[in-house]
Amino acid sequence: MNARNEGWLYVGPATLFLFLVMLVPLAYVVYTSVTTASGDFSLASYQRLLSSDLFKRTLLTTFQISIVASLASLVLGYPIALHLAKQTPRKRALYMVLVLVPFWTSILVKSYAFTVLLGRVGLVNQFLSFMAGSSVQLPMLFNRFGVMVGMTNYLIPFIVFPVLASLLAIDQSLYRASEIMGAKPPRIFFRITFPLSLPGVAAGVLSTTVMSMGFFVIPALLGGRQDVMMSNLVDFYTRETMDWNMASAIGVILLGIVTLVAIAADQAKRFGSRPGVPA
Amino acid sequence: MSSNSQLNPGRRRFFQTTGAGAAVAATTAIGLPMLAVPRRASAAERLVVVSWGGTYRTAVEEALVRPFEKEYGISVTLVDTPDLAKVKAQVMTKNVEWDVFDAVGPMAMTGSKAGYWEPLDPALFDQKDLIAPMTKEAVPFYGFTGGIFWDAKKYPEGKAPQTFAEYFDVKKFPGKRTLRNRASETLEIALLADGVSPDKMYPLDVPRAFKALERIKPHIAKWVDQTPQTTTLVETGEVDYSYTYATRAKASQESGKPTQFSFKQNLIGLEYLVVLKGAPNKAAAMKYVQFAMRPDRQAALMNLHGNTPASKKARGLMKPEISKWLSDPQNKNNLLSNDAWWADHYDELTLKFKEWVLS
Repeated sequence: MNARNEGWLYVGPATLFLFLVMLVPLAYVVYTSVTTASGDFSLASYQRLLSSDLFKRTLLTTFQISIVASLASLVLGYPIALHLAKQTPRKRALYMVLVLVPFWTSILVKSYAFTVLLGRVGLVNQFLSFMAGSSVQLPMLFNRFGVMVGMTNYLIPFIVFPVLASLLAIDQSLYRASEIMGAKPPRIFFRITFPLSLPGVAAGVLSTTVMSMGFFVIPALLGGRQDVMMSNLVDFYTRETMDWNMASAIGVILLGIVTLVAIAADQAKRFGSRPGVPA
Repeated sequence: MSSNSQLNPGRRRFFQTTGAGAAVAATTAIGLPMLAVPRRASAAERLVVVSWGGTYRTAVEEALVRPFEKEYGISVTLVDTPDLAKVKAQVMTKNVEWDVFDAVGPMAMTGSKAGYWEPLDPALFDQKDLIAPMTKEAVPFYGFTGGIFWDAKKYPEGKAPQTFAEYFDVKKFPGKRTLRNRASETLEIALLADGVSPDKMYPLDVPRAFKALERIKPHIAKWVDQTPQTTTLVETGEVDYSYTYATRAKASQESGKPTQFSFKQNLIGLEYLVVLKGAPNKAAAMKYVQFAMRPDRQAALMNLHGNTPASKKARGLMKPEISKWLSDPQNKNNLLSNDAWWADHYDELTLKFKEWVLS
């Protein structure tokens, strides 16, 4: 009882703060989504959305892009975290700064750089043409591939840091013990390192997926005509047609789906971590 | 404020002495409300103008804001990025902070329909001097010129499309192109390309426009959302020709790129000035809008950012090296965007266009 009271002391201020800056506005968004301009209750905007092909296609694309971008970032970011975990603290601090480099330039500038690299006469294609001895023009921009390059470039740090935290939390004696018992590195990785880093992986994948769903500029700059994200529609309803009813309804639907996914992931994690994993 | 007092000492001193006198009178009379007097004094000499950022902002500051402060003794706060959603929030919560708003055509018209603007007194402006008629609440501020842009090193004169019909002619001018990822401008371009004459453009023949767009769709490498890409894609060789604006083309050339912009056929869109409904400094706002439309101020501003002044007289006052970037008002091929028509069709056609682009 006492401990619980003390807990409130620590969590209380943050809860109150979040209640004011998160829950109150969120409640207003939900309220707006079910209210017409004249103030009556109505689910019309939900009905309009669910019968709109544009909305359904955009929703599907948004999920595809977000999930694939998040997984691609995991594949690229995990080895980086693994490497960082093996460094001395001083070197690690330096490398961590390097991981943050993508944040130093604006996406508009980066999109220009990506065009120079990945364009039809860009450096990558020039190199491939040189190697192949004939003209190669791989389409790497203004399609899904371009979107993935841009998004992973931005998302990798959000994978590296949680995974790194999980890796650093692993008790070093576990490695020593397994080596003494004669385990080879691959076995150590799959039996110890990877399972114990899963909380970081889950946190990283979940947060990057959710973040990606709000992306707007990267797909607009590097994607093709079909790579439209939901935020694009929200922007249209919020700032161009002033139909906040519809914009809020989209927000509520997205939030609902993301919450469900997060709950499902949490359940799966609990279920998965029950048997046999050393605590 | 300090530069203000330096530039116009007489007026400043007048304000200071009257302000101080009033304060003394007030304190002796009622004894308390020191606060009320400075607030009233400052309310009379302040103004908030919302405008675009970057070099645009610097130009507005130099050509409008500073001369206005000097002439009227009203201090102006310049805020970046006109956002209609923020206007809606301010009007809805009756907490209006902005006075003057610098709006692109569709934005100004949507705002009119929603009742966000104060009516403007037509007597403030020389109606015969305007390149396009003002509406009840919005006065045209300048015109921006859309047209075809290409790399002149790759495509010398005659090898690049220069009218929209040529832009849609992929046999004669093969290569990748861009169009904007929006219904306005793009539908007009398609109809111009399909042979609709500019004077018969509105109301738009929407099915015909989409049919023409269907023809060009496979040759559009990028449906551009972010305006800077309209020029960078040509500069990096990613596309062969692009639809962009004269000001962007001018910036590209000035940075040393061998690019070229066509004035054979242009689409002219309008930017408007409006005043927010319930603006806290309405009187000053009206003065500012009138000031911004004066031919000498129009010329000064357009000399800096290279758009077409809404005041016809301003054209003659501009520097010749800038005037060559203005669209030709005599050119019968040019089309002036009809924002009033768009106001009634913008939402519906934008959704239709978005669906079409996805399919």
